[in-house]
Amino acid sequence: MDRVRKLKAVLWAIVGLGLAVGLTRFAFGLGATTNLTDAVPWGFWIGFDVMSGVALAAGGFTVTAIVYIFGLHKFHSIVRPAVLTAFLGYVAVVLGLLFDLGLPWNIWHMIIFWNPHSPLFEVGWCVMLYLTVLFLEFSPVPLESTSAFAKVRRFLVKMRIPLVITGIALSTLHQSSLGTLFMIMPYRVNPLWYSSILPILFFISAVGLGLMMATFESHFTAYFYRRKPETDILAKLTSWSRWVLLTWVVVRIVDLAARGLGAEMFSLDGAMLWFWVELLLAGIIPIIMFSLPANKVSHQWQWTAAGIGVFGVVLNRINVGGFMHLDRGQAYFPAWTEFAVSAGVVAFIALVFLFFIEKFNIWEERPRDPGEKPEALPEFDKASGATLGAPNVFGRYAYSMVFVLATAVGFALLSNKVIRSEGVDPAPVAEARGGDTLWVDGNTDGYGVFFKHEQHAKWVAQTLALAEMDVPPDSLALAEAMERAGTVSEEAVCAACHHMNLPADETSGCYQCHADMYSTTDAFRHDWHASPAGAALACAECHTPGEVKNAESVEHNCEHCHKDLVPAQATLAVENYGAPAYAAAMHDMCIGCHMEQAEVRNRAGLAQCATCHGTMAQEFVDADLKSYERELRGKGVILPMPQLEEN
Amino acid sequence: MSVKADANNTPAILTDITRCIGCRECVSACKNVNNTEPDKPRRWQLEDGLSSRNWTSIIEKEQGYVRKQCRHCLEPACVSVCPVGALHTTKEGPVVYDSDKCLGCRYCMMACAYGIPRYDWDQVVPYVRKCILCADRLKEGKEPACTSACPVDATIFGTRGELLAEAHRRIEENPDTYDSRVWGEQQLGGTRVLYLAPKGMDLHFLTYGQKVQDEPLPATTRTAMHAVPFAFVGMGGAMAGIHWIVKRRQKLQGDNPQHTEPPQTPEDGGEEKS
Repeated sequence: MDRVRKLKAVLWAIVGLGLAVGLTRFAFGLGATTNLTDAVPWGFWIGFDVMSGVALAAGGFTVTAIVYIFGLHKFHSIVRPAVLTAFLGYVAVVLGLLFDLGLPWNIWHMIIFWNPHSPLFEVGWCVMLYLTVLFLEFSPVPLESTSAFAKVRRFLVKMRIPLVITGIALSTLHQSSLGTLFMIMPYRVNPLWYSSILPILFFISAVGLGLMMATFESHFTAYFYRRKPETDILAKLTSWSRWVLLTWVVVRIVDLAARGLGAEMFSLDGAMLWFWVELLLAGIIPIIMFSLPANKVSHQWQWTAAGIGVFGVVLNRINVGGFMHLDRGQAYFPAWTEFAVSAGVVAFIALVFLFFIEKFNIWEERPRDPGEKPEALPEFDKASGATLGAPNVFGRYAYSMVFVLATAVGFALLSNKVIRSEGVDPAPVAEARGGDTLWVDGNTDGYGVFFKHEQHAKWVAQTLALAEMDVPPDSLALAEAMERAGTVSEEAVCAACHHMNLPADETSGCYQCHADMYSTTDAFRHDWHASPAGAALACAECHTPGEVKNAESVEHNCEHCHKDLVPAQATLAVENYGAPAYAAAMHDMCIGCHMEQAEVRNRAGLAQCATCHGTMAQEFVDADLKSYERELRGKGVILPMPQLEEN
Repeated sequence: MSVKADANNTPAILTDITRCIGCRECVSACKNVNNTEPDKPRRWQLEDGLSSRNWTSIIEKEQGYVRKQCRHCLEPACVSVCPVGALHTTKEGPVVYDSDKCLGCRYCMMACAYGIPRYDWDQVVPYVRKCILCADRLKEGKEPACTSACPVDATIFGTRGELLAEAHRRIEENPDTYDSRVWGEQQLGGTRVLYLAPKGMDLHFLTYGQKVQDEPLPATTRTAMHAVPFAFVGMGGAMAGIHWIVKRRQKLQGDNPQHTEPPQTPEDGGEEKS
């Protein structure tokens, strides 16, 4: 059992890692835990968990067809493992889908809200029904060990043939409909993969994959439980799969040729490379390997060939599912978190599979559970000589430990960026530059605003004067307000836009508190206020004794103490210790006033984006800024900037 | 063609690229009316300016400003693929979204050839977002926020039939100014959001450089979907038939399959021994 125990420890570790990421996905959303974008809304979780998962579970209907429909009973020994693999495979698909769906708690909506035009609706229903069929097909096995449901069991056994036939028909539908899903995307799927016979290609390859997967799974468990592999039976299975795969290769190439894309197969680009890799792995290599004499005698040979074939078909599903889609301006490669969740789901299902293998008669003889060996000697740690207890107890300790450790590692690996669900790195704000004409461009992407400071002061004075006069704002009143503007106090003008300066600093830039372009920042220096070298405030001077000490439990804001720093007549209040994002703060202040004035002065143009972000901004964008912009774009940062040149 | 004749009585938008001055009044009107929060650049956004919080945007090209928004296809791919009918065409015409039904599969985003629907990637409860042609305002008898905000009538509202006629009239009057196509008249079965482009301008960038067919996209899956019941019955029938033949032959040959069974699994072979 040593191999199994090692395998289980590894599986538990993977489940732990996946659990950490999976929980994070539900706590912080898809943006935080995937590399998906608006251009690539389906990624690895669809390509692998769903598309490949369904295909990998195809062994269920192929093997039941061989044994129960075609009556080839010598394959009987692989029926139970195949049905179990299929059942758990579909459970894995649904489990994986729950992570991928944005609103997984609505998954049942497909039952009540119908759209029969949708291939996905059909796939969803087929998967639901087939999962039920597989459950019914498999449940006689665990029911063997109890006499409680003998009647139910007998009924299910009687129902076997109808169930098998329904299962095959349902599989035919959804295995092929997974191909239909992509037929509505002729302008998205690469022409080498897009075809109007995608459903047929998907069905053929699913049958081939089902046979190979049954082979692979059989050898896999034989290795870990040190059983004698059923090489002769499996040789027969693989020799059939060869013909299925050959059909797939031929149909695929004929279809390409018929669509006039024969030359594309040799076009020497990335897509062509993947096309051939896929064709070799999913078709040509396994076909050749299954045809050679070694296939009849060597289980390693079978195992390798089936493994290559399985990988090849999975690659095909991933390619169709998104990897080989045409570029829409955003490249996609799965994040490690996506791999972690998929691997976690697979590992979890593998553990359940091993549980069934050990507890029920999946094979004709059940592998011995180490716990069932009372005579087994306790194990010792090789280094310290400390006793580890009986083998099964040791196993449980080891599994729990790796599981907890891996979960912790998973959480540790998730970056703060992910936890904050920001999706983008912090964007520190740069100081406004220039003399009287300020270049206000927080994130220095060139899409900023020229701000004429002195002129704005005049306009603000005029506005204040106008407000004081309290007359309809016609042109006469405006002219008078302009004359009166000089009498408005300087302090009042400044206070219209500036609220509070830092201590001992009369011209603090906005950027000092609104320090991030798009996220709120902490404007309060807590440590400095508490330290003896700074303000030396005791806790109780701000926090109510006995209450939780956090920002929310402090009732007053900066102005409470720094009265001298707030200009009289200030219009902008400091509501809390968090400064809004720079872009939000600037926009609120400018746009708010502009919109108001656009109405007051009846000048609609005042409130348009282009009024501030006009051509002036572009003129400023010199060669340096352009190159900076290009560098940023290269990093995948999206800039709200006018296109300067056609790319 | 009766579908199209009906469609020509539904609300539509005509955007004349030659007239647009790029002021983005439409963008801010859209944000105000639909209460979409302020946006910030995110990893998952495209350069076209659309996002779950920006349902329309201005793309600046050398030949002019192009306002991007949902095209409100006459036969929308997004509607045909939505497994729960969350995206649907109202009887007035706009393609709208019912967030209560949605399960978040994002098939609509994959299927749309224009790449219009966007996702709330940063939300724990995310929805699909796109222009809904101000369906609520239309019901109140108002026109969409964007067209009413346009200061130069570059983007105008009307029935599809009226706007098509107007578009062709403009092309006819100024054949030197305009490209001879009305974009959206035929493409993918026709759209409710139509474009007039200046001469020499190619709007294929709206479909990511792909030249699209005139056939509506849902037609591509129609044959396969119609085959579904036949495939189910056919495959089921074939399997039942083969099973019957095989079993009968085995019976005639006296080959009792139960002999091959292992003793500890008595139910195998289809019949239970009591």
